[in-house]
Amino acid sequence: MSAPYTGQEMMAIATGREVQDGELAIFGVGLSMLAGFFAQAHHAPNVRAMTEGGVYGATPVGGLPWGIECNRISANATSFTSALDALGCLVASGRCDVGVIGAAQVDKFGNVNTTAIWDGDGVIGDRYRLPKTRLNGAGGANDIACGAGRFIIMAAHEAKRFVDKVSYISSPGYLTGGDARSRYGFTGGGPSAIITTLGILRPDPDSKEFRLDGWFPFSSIEEIRANTGWNLKVAPDARAVPEPTPEELAALRRVDETGALRRK
Amino acid sequence: MPPGKLIPLSEAVRRYTRDGMEYASGAALPVGSDAIVFGRELLRQGRKDLHAIFHCNSQQLNLLAAAGAVAKAECGFSGLEVFGFANGLRRAVESGRLELEDYSNLSMTLRLLGGALGWPFVPATVNVGSDIQDRSAFAPDEYPCRSKIATVTDPFSGREIGALRPLIPELAAIHVSLADPLGNTIMLGTEWSRFELSRAAKRVVVIADAIVDTACMRQYPNLVRIPDLVVEAVVWWPFAAWPQSSPGLYDVDEAHMKLMNQALATEAGTAGYLRDFVESYDDIGGYLDIIGRDTVAALSRGPTSFLLDPYRSWILPPEVLQ
Repeated sequence: MSAPYTGQEMMAIATGREVQDGELAIFGVGLSMLAGFFAQAHHAPNVRAMTEGGVYGATPVGGLPWGIECNRISANATSFTSALDALGCLVASGRCDVGVIGAAQVDKFGNVNTTAIWDGDGVIGDRYRLPKTRLNGAGGANDIACGAGRFIIMAAHEAKRFVDKVSYISSPGYLTGGDARSRYGFTGGGPSAIITTLGILRPDPDSKEFRLDGWFPFSSIEEIRANTGWNLKVAPDARAVPEPTPEELAALRRVDETGALRRK
Repeated sequence: MPPGKLIPLSEAVRRYTRDGMEYASGAALPVGSDAIVFGRELLRQGRKDLHAIFHCNSQQLNLLAAAGAVAKAECGFSGLEVFGFANGLRRAVESGRLELEDYSNLSMTLRLLGGALGWPFVPATVNVGSDIQDRSAFAPDEYPCRSKIATVTDPFSGREIGALRPLIPELAAIHVSLADPLGNTIMLGTEWSRFELSRAAKRVVVIADAIVDTACMRQYPNLVRIPDLVVEAVVWWPFAAWPQSSPGLYDVDEAHMKLMNQALATEAGTAGYLRDFVESYDDIGGYLDIIGRDTVAALSRGPTSFLLDPYRSWILPPEVLQ
């Protein structure tokens, strides 16, 4: 018997639920864009969506865009501007309400690594030694993490990705926790949630350490804790996340017309 | 050839590039507009030890890095978006053959803007507090590094912010959709940081998918963001960004994006790619042949083709240009 929806679809819907109608929102390419345009198709018709390249007013055509500037996202735009405008004037300025970014590694304070993986214990050391595996770098995620009112991190929930401390901070979460962000003059408030393939983590209001806030219907507290590399605390009001409604699934599948989230 | 700054691609590379230079391109995104064919010609002419300044990696930097032509690179994003990791660049970084200095997509733009404006540094509230600031591939022993992104105190708020180093590349090879023979250009799609790059670089060569009569620019002067007065030379080369996309002109070639990135993952694959797709053509006709004429026709009928409609009547035919 096949499940009525996939884990990836649950993750995209849970992320989309974080986006409110009317917000100025910036989505990266891939999963986060699907989550954002799902929100627009379902409960946030007036979300003002933009890409970091300065494509405004567009919705994807013909499937998941290959890139944030490719023809699938450039076919019905109402404005083309630039990176300086999108990431600078609209994000670094503090105007953007919410951003969605991905992570190869994320730690308990919501710091994100998308730059590289180092061998051994993963600690780089004083000398910036060569990585075992080079990844994609920060892209616009550092700028979103510094400037957006809040941001949401999407990551596959595996112990190797959910680490106590990332090897390299590509995009800052709450750094060492507490009010550590405040000394840098960031216009943005930091990560509001980590949406994973198993559930949702949110920061403790004081320590800023991420705690389990909800588990997806097909997961459990035990499974999530077992796949987290730090001693994950459970928020007092943690609960099961409601499964996708038929309306949500239908809206997501209209956006994900090539079925990228339904493949394994 | 009509009078103006139009020169052949091979002559542009011969005239404006040299080994070891600070070479800027890729001022678009990994799947978008980039003067990739200029990078192919750099390899055909054996350029090496380049210091590449690419706002974002693209298949051009991926190829140049895989072929061993780049010693240093500075980037905001080093992947290929949904096409995955850039295997050629990644292999060069992991082997230590190429030093890759990481920034972000806004900080690269701000550094170009700083170069364009002649600022001593650019204040920024991004990149600070992360390892983009603390780690430098160019100064690996300095930790936490402050020679890459320095720190200054905001005189108004008293807070610590970043001081970014401006970029003034020796040459920018910038891909545009349309150019006239004088060097006035129109970019369809997001311009990304091509405006800032065109003002920051000491010299600018534009590579255009199509050449239009100057009357087109007089009809749409508001759209001419890179005008002739900052442009040294104009190269006409259709499908110059292939296998990436050029909004209005052609779609991304998905199959070749994958084939190319897979080839660049190994030394042998790279050698084969250079043989088949870099050394294998003599002129524009031969280049379109290796793409495949059917593919050229299919990619030209994309969902953004209508963006070109207002300009079509001014496009100069190939027989005038060759």
